[in-house]
Amino acid sequence: MKSKHNESRRAFLVSTVAGAGAVAAGAGLAQTQQPEPVADHTHDNGGKLGAFLNQDDSAAIEAFTERLMPGAPGQPGARDAGVLNYIDLALAGAYADLQDFYRRGCAALEDHCRKTYSKSFAQLTAAEQDAVITAMTEGKAPSFTWPTSQAFFNTLRTHTMEGMFADPVYGGNKDFAGWRLVGFPGAQPVFTEADMASREAFTRGPILGLQAQVRRS
Amino acid sequence: MATEKADVVIVGVGGTGGILAAELSKAGMKVIGLERGPRHKTSDFAGQDELRYFQRQDLRPNPKRQPVTWRPNANARAVPMAPLNYGNQVGGGTVHYGAVSWRFHESDFRVRSQTIERYGASAIPEDCSVIDWPLSYAELEPFYDRAEYDLGVSGKAGNLQGRKIEGGNIFEAPRQREFPMPPLFVDNSARIFEEGVKKLGYHPFPTPRAILSEPYKGRPGCAYCGFCSTHGCHVGAKSSVLVTTIPEAEATGNFKLVTGAMCYRIHSDNSGRVTGVSYYGPDNSDNTVEAEIVILSPFIYDIVRLLLLSKTSKFPEGLANSSGHLGRHVMTHIGGRVFVAFDDRYVNMFMGPTAQKHTIDDLNGDNFDHGGLGFILGAQVSVQGPGFDAGPIAASVGMPPPRGIPNWGAPYREFIAKYFARHAALNAQTDNLPFADQMIDLDPDVRDAWGLPAPRLTYDWRRPSERARVEYMLRKTEEIGRAMGATHVWRANERPGSPGGHHQGGARMGSDPKDSVVNRYGQSWDIHNLFIAGGSIHPTISGFNPTLTMQALAYMTADAIVNRYKKSPGPLV
Repeated sequence: MKSKHNESRRAFLVSTVAGAGAVAAGAGLAQTQQPEPVADHTHDNGGKLGAFLNQDDSAAIEAFTERLMPGAPGQPGARDAGVLNYIDLALAGAYADLQDFYRRGCAALEDHCRKTYSKSFAQLTAAEQDAVITAMTEGKAPSFTWPTSQAFFNTLRTHTMEGMFADPVYGGNKDFAGWRLVGFPGAQPVFTEADMASREAFTRGPILGLQAQVRRS
Repeated sequence: MATEKADVVIVGVGGTGGILAAELSKAGMKVIGLERGPRHKTSDFAGQDELRYFQRQDLRPNPKRQPVTWRPNANARAVPMAPLNYGNQVGGGTVHYGAVSWRFHESDFRVRSQTIERYGASAIPEDCSVIDWPLSYAELEPFYDRAEYDLGVSGKAGNLQGRKIEGGNIFEAPRQREFPMPPLFVDNSARIFEEGVKKLGYHPFPTPRAILSEPYKGRPGCAYCGFCSTHGCHVGAKSSVLVTTIPEAEATGNFKLVTGAMCYRIHSDNSGRVTGVSYYGPDNSDNTVEAEIVILSPFIYDIVRLLLLSKTSKFPEGLANSSGHLGRHVMTHIGGRVFVAFDDRYVNMFMGPTAQKHTIDDLNGDNFDHGGLGFILGAQVSVQGPGFDAGPIAASVGMPPPRGIPNWGAPYREFIAKYFARHAALNAQTDNLPFADQMIDLDPDVRDAWGLPAPRLTYDWRRPSERARVEYMLRKTEEIGRAMGATHVWRANERPGSPGGHHQGGARMGSDPKDSVVNRYGQSWDIHNLFIAGGSIHPTISGFNPTLTMQALAYMTADAIVNRYKKSPGPLV
C-alpha cells in the first residue's frame, strides 16, 4: 500500500515538472469529463505537498538527493529511503532556521540549470545532473551567491545521509532502507561478548528502530 | 527576585561540580548548585537515537542560545563555533562522554622540568608558556584512587606499586591498587588493533573507562549497545556524576539543585572576598545566592567569562586576575585520524562503548625518545568509532572515503554499503602545548540569549612544533593500520586551525601567583574563598582524556575545604 502511494507521488512529481498537470489518483476520470487548462492547477496540491517544500523544490531536492545516493538493484537509495520526506519534515521543524538557505539554494539551482540546459534540475538526464553537482562542488555555478554552491552541496549531502541513516521516526530511512544498505542493526539494546568477537556480519535478531522492527531475511 | 543563603554555591553541576556537591554536603555544609541545563533521568536515554544525540548534539549547548566565538588570530573576525564540545545538563559532559578515564603520567605533571632535563631548554618552543603543575602525581594518587572507586572505573593495572604488568598499561604511573573492576569486553576492533600493534612492538591494553563491566554500587554492567559517546546511557552503566555523586549529595539533605539557572555575576566586597552570585532563572527571574564559598565548575568558557564580567573597582581586570593570566594558555586535543577498512572480515564497530576502545601508550608523553624529532610530547593512539560515535551517521558524515572515491554518487554508495561494517577509525590524540596568546576573552559583538557577551576564543594550533607532532603521529598511525592487515588505510583531511576536543586551560594552576590564576587546590591566589574546578585549571593537557584528572583534583579540593579551609578560612598555600 505504502509503496504504491510512493509511486504515485513520484509519478505526480515527475508529471508536474514535465508540465502535464496534476495526475493524482482519480484525476484521469476528471480529465475525460472536462479538459483542464494546464495553467489552472496552481492550487491543486493533489494531496502531495509536504510540510515545507513547494512542488518544484520537492522535485529538485528529490532528484538531487537521489544522485547523491542513487539506488540500484538490491541497494536502496535516497528515493527508496524517503530522504525528501526527511528533509521536508526537518525544514518544517528542527531545521526551520535553514528554510531560507534551502529556498535560495533551490532558486539558484533552478537558475543555473535554466541557464545551462534550459530545463529544471529534475528534468535533466542523470549525466547532466551529475555535471551540475560537480560544477557546484567545484564552485563553478555562478548562479549561487548565498548559500555558495559548495555550502548548498555540503548541506544536502549531510541531510541526505541523515535521511538515509536516522531512525525512521524522523521520516526517512523508510523500512530501514538505509540501515539495510549498510548492514546496521539499529537500536539494539544489548550486544553479547560473542557478538563482539565475531568477524562475520551481525544477523542475530531483527533490525530495531524506536517504533518498529524488521526481521532480516 | 529571590535571595538565598548557603555555605557554598557551586556554579555548574557537572563532572567536577557534582563531586564537590557530594563531598561538601556530606561534610554537613549547606550547598546550592546552579546548573544552566536540564536534569535528565536514565529512562530519558531509552531512545537510542544517533540523529538526536550524535548529529544534532542534544546533550551539548545550543550554539545559537549560548554562542562561543572563535577566531584564528587577533586580526580575524570571530564567528560562532559549532558544535560546542561540552555538556549542558546536570552531570555535564559526564552524561554524554565516552567515559575514558585516565590517570596522567608522572611526567605530565612536570613537562617543563622533564623536557629541560632530558632534551635541554631549547626543546621547548620559544613562545610556549608551559609550566610544571604545582603538585606531583604521587600527591594526586590517593584522589585518583578515590575517583576510580567512588565513581566506578573498569580497567587493568599496568603498574601496581612499581611492578609492571603485561596486559595493562605498562607506561602508567604507579597505582596503589587494582581498578575496582575488570576491563570491559574486548571487541573485534580491539582484537585486530591488538594483533597489529604487537607486530610493531607496542603494548596494547583495554582503555580504562568509567563504565561498569559488572554490577557496582547498585548499578548494572554495560550492555554494549554502542550508543555511548555523545549519548546518555540507557542502563545507567556509565559512571556519570548524574547517577553517582549527585544522588549522594541529595541524600544528605544538605544539597539543593537549581536547574535552568544562568549565572551572570559573582559578587565581591571591598575586603577582597566573594560574597555570592546572581543568576537568571528559567522564568528569567533575577536571583541571588549569598555564600561563604563560591566554587566555579562550568566549562572553561563560562569560568573565564564570569570572572571577567564580575570586575569591580577593586578588581578592574576581572576577579582572580591580578596575574593577567586569566583566559590564557588554552589548549585542545588536536590529533590525527586514520581510517582502516577490511575486505576479509567484518569489524562491526557499532558494538560496545565507542570512544577510545583499545590503546597504546608507547607514543604518548615522554614514553619515547624525542631527540631530533622537532617536537616534544606525543599522543594516545586508540581504535574507536569514526566520530567517537560509531553509527552510520557518524560514519557517513565523519569519515571521508579514501582518496579516489568521491563522497557522493554510486561509487560512494558502494563504498559505504561495503565498508560500514568493515571499518575502524584510529585516533592519535595529541598532547598540544600551551601558548599565552591562545586565549579566551569577551566578544565585543556577539551576545548570548541572556544578553551577556559571548566568550571569544583566539586560537590556531598550527605552529611548527604542533604540526610536526601531528604529522609524526599520523605516519605512525598509518603504519599501525597497515600492520592490522587493512585493505585500505587512509587519513582524514587535515584539520583547519580551529580547536579540537577537550578544551582546557584559561585559569591555570601554578606555584607562582604571577603566572597562574589558582593554586594546587583550585583556590584563587587573589580571593581565598573563590575556588575553580575542572579542566580550566590544567597547566598542560597530556595526550589523555582529561575527566578523571579533573575529578581527582575536585576530590582534592573538597578534601582541603572540608579538612582545612572550613576550620580556618584563608589561603591554603
